[in-house]
Amino acid sequence: MTKLKLDGLQKHYGTVAAVKGIDLDVAEGELVSLLGPSGCGKTTTLRCVAGFELPTGGRITFDGNEVTMLPPERRDIGMVFQNYALFPHMTVRENLRFGLEMRKVDAASMERRVADVLGMVQLTSMETRYPRQLSGGQQQRVALARALVIEPKLLLLDEPLANLDAKLRDEMRFFIRSLQKRVGITTLYVTHDQAEAMVMSDRIVVMFDGLIHQVGGARDIYDRPATRQVASFIGLSNFVTGRVAGRDGSLWRLETSFGTISCGAGIAPGAGSPATAMVRPEAIDLSAAPVAGAFPGRVSERFFLGNLVDYRITMSDGTLLQVQQPATAAFAPGDEVHATLPAERAWLVRDDAA
Amino acid sequence: MTAPSPTARPPGVRPRWLLAAPVLVTVAALIVVPYVNILVMSFRVPSTTKPYLPGFTFGNYTKALADPDFFYFELLFDTLRLALTITFLCLVVAYPVAFHLARTTSRWKGVLYALVLSPLLVGVVIRSFGWIILLANNGLINQSLKAWGMAPLPLMYNEFGVVLALVHVFLPFMILPLMGAIQGIDPRLEEAARSLGAGPAKVFWRVLFPLSMPGVQSGCILVFVLSCGAYVTPALLGAGRVHTMTTEVITLLDQFLWPFGAALALILSVVGLAAVAIYARLSGRLMRGLA
Amino acid sequence: MKGGKLLLGAAVTSVYVFLMLPIAIVVIASFNSGKYLKFPPEGFSLRWYANFFGSQPFMDATLLSFVLAVVAAAVATVIAVPAALYYVRHAGRWRETFRMLTLAPLLLPEILTAIALLFFYYQIGIGTKSALGLYLGHVVICIPFFFLQVTSALYNISPSLEEAARSLGATSWTSFRRVTLPLIKPGVINGALFAFIISFDNVSISLLLKGVGTTTLPMQVFDYLRWDFDPTTAAASTVSIAMTLGAVILVDRLVGLRAMRY
Repeated sequence: MTKLKLDGLQKHYGTVAAVKGIDLDVAEGELVSLLGPSGCGKTTTLRCVAGFELPTGGRITFDGNEVTMLPPERRDIGMVFQNYALFPHMTVRENLRFGLEMRKVDAASMERRVADVLGMVQLTSMETRYPRQLSGGQQQRVALARALVIEPKLLLLDEPLANLDAKLRDEMRFFIRSLQKRVGITTLYVTHDQAEAMVMSDRIVVMFDGLIHQVGGARDIYDRPATRQVASFIGLSNFVTGRVAGRDGSLWRLETSFGTISCGAGIAPGAGSPATAMVRPEAIDLSAAPVAGAFPGRVSERFFLGNLVDYRITMSDGTLLQVQQPATAAFAPGDEVHATLPAERAWLVRDDAA
Repeated sequence: MTAPSPTARPPGVRPRWLLAAPVLVTVAALIVVPYVNILVMSFRVPSTTKPYLPGFTFGNYTKALADPDFFYFELLFDTLRLALTITFLCLVVAYPVAFHLARTTSRWKGVLYALVLSPLLVGVVIRSFGWIILLANNGLINQSLKAWGMAPLPLMYNEFGVVLALVHVFLPFMILPLMGAIQGIDPRLEEAARSLGAGPAKVFWRVLFPLSMPGVQSGCILVFVLSCGAYVTPALLGAGRVHTMTTEVITLLDQFLWPFGAALALILSVVGLAAVAIYARLSGRLMRGLA
Repeated sequence: MKGGKLLLGAAVTSVYVFLMLPIAIVVIASFNSGKYLKFPPEGFSLRWYANFFGSQPFMDATLLSFVLAVVAAAVATVIAVPAALYYVRHAGRWRETFRMLTLAPLLLPEILTAIALLFFYYQIGIGTKSALGLYLGHVVICIPFFFLQVTSALYNISPSLEEAARSLGATSWTSFRRVTLPLIKPGVINGALFAFIISFDNVSISLLLKGVGTTTLPMQVFDYLRWDFDPTTAAASTVSIAMTLGAVILVDRLVGLRAMRY
């Protein structure tokens, strides 16, 4: 089991900075996802760890040993590629043996290890097939097996589920996660799919534009996003801007143009400074009758989503809020409603755009 | 595995240029240096007894471009005119074939494609030979004409024969890029144009042809350049009666007038390349205008 | 609509006939018993083949052409394969310049290249005394075709395959040998085939660079055609076509069978 540590990692291509200095610690046996939109630097970070890209600054260490400048073949990593990168001219068995041959493993243990791993990914009967004779899901499992059979220090996965259809993708999430737990290997997982990152990871690293915006568990990131970008990348959100009016214990009062709301925060804005609060659509409560602390508004649009109804509420000052309620609640467009924004579900975010 | 040392050679600084070295050395020694040499040679003083006399001169160029009866100037003009004719004919003949080949769903597609490619596998000499058998004064066509009581036609030893044979030689070079370009055009665009009321001719001129311009351009450039430099076919089918810059250059080499031959050869390539550049600019503007 | 289809069909068919006609005519002439091909042909005869195989100059020329083409293809392999690898996987800022240089022998008029080489050989003193100049000339015109074949083969294999090999512990050389090379093999074999054919059919380079008293098969045919009409040249041409065709079929067998595995 290996600890991975990134120290001020930077990667520039000419004048373009893909990774602008990131620090990250991954504990032994932990699965950490790098989540972000395309071009955010997550894949570049992974490729630096793998050794396919040389960082222009910073250090990468495995268990305290620096590997920053080592070629990939000397890092002892297992990698799963987005397109699987199975060798098309080799059978499943030959693909799995490749890494073991590079390590000069003796014939007997080679047989044993290949058989073990094939059992683990449930492909024992497919040994003599060529990759093109396998389905997408099977190819995916071979790629995983090929990376694991060498018992690497670190498992790296680069959007491994991106090429699978939705149903198979769901199955594979749980399969990979349970396999990773069973083997107990330290894993770095790159994805742009928030649901995938939330289901699979111990911790999620959210990246934008070459920088880490937040590191945390799924709950942290969903309920307490650090920045406006994190909040809007993960799930749906309303942003309410206003001025900080003061503080009540752990809560902040935010004066908005439709009224003053209370919200939590991970930052400490000065009184009177402009700030942005994030509220998830399902956190807002609607009622027909006035409620203490609720703000008046009018239903302007309604969409039926099956399990939910999605409303657009126009507040007294014209602010548009997205609200999702269980399908049992029934308001019609034009109805007067009263919206409650619960303090424990409202959160001040850093907003560089404001 | 032992702990790797951080001072090991990074993967990016392996001597990868070593891969490029063989080709660079070869091209430098066998293309760049000889071409520089020919350029220097074109400024030498010609002699009929040895490669050249001492000293340098512009005489070869003034003789080529400004001799009193404009012999070489006309020759250059003829060569370009011939190349242009061949290019145009190739385009006209190649287009239907390229279109058909790009769009056909016939199971013979592979065979047809091989038919287009196969002339490339047969040397230029042999293909010209085929035309000689057909077109010569006592060749197959004229013998048949005589047998049917008709007067023989002058098919060879003139521009007609040379152009016909060269169109044949270069046709695959036009068909292949055209086919590539047409294959890249979504057939639904033609259907869309038809649905909007365009007739077949309008569809061709307004949709298909403009979209196939990249293929038209590369095919035309290729055929034009190849035609300018053609030697074997003009020499065989022209048999000394059709003169182009290349046949003239080879004649000068036989007479040992190397510096003058070098100057003529360079003028031909420069003019040829300039023609291509002008054409590329024009059709580039045309393409931008359409976009 | 129907008329247009028919018209297109007729036009296309006549172009295919046009493409094949002169080649077919040469083959027919080689089996014709008379000196001049008539329609209908006068009769079947192998006497031109007997002439061809009995002629020492033709046999020497055929042998030289064959050896020349094999050597040119082999040497071009060593030059063009690394060049393609460099261009597709590693070339940086000078990428396009590098490609233009590699393709230069194809982009420049062949006859001009031949003249340039001839002058150059005389300047450095090897002239046409040694066959080396001829061999080098053939190598240089084979490189671009070879390069293009290998380049497109390389573009068809994902770089992540090589990365996968590296991540599994293979050095860059091992990854080339075990992964890249087997996958581009069809491209390399095709490239070699192209090089062989280009060299085997070449006239322009041989015309100026052939040494005194030596000649290649297309040159021999060319010289015959310039001075006299002799159907022996038709037999020589047909043999030459057959040799090219043989090379194509051989390669199809080699690459075809290999490609079926994956």
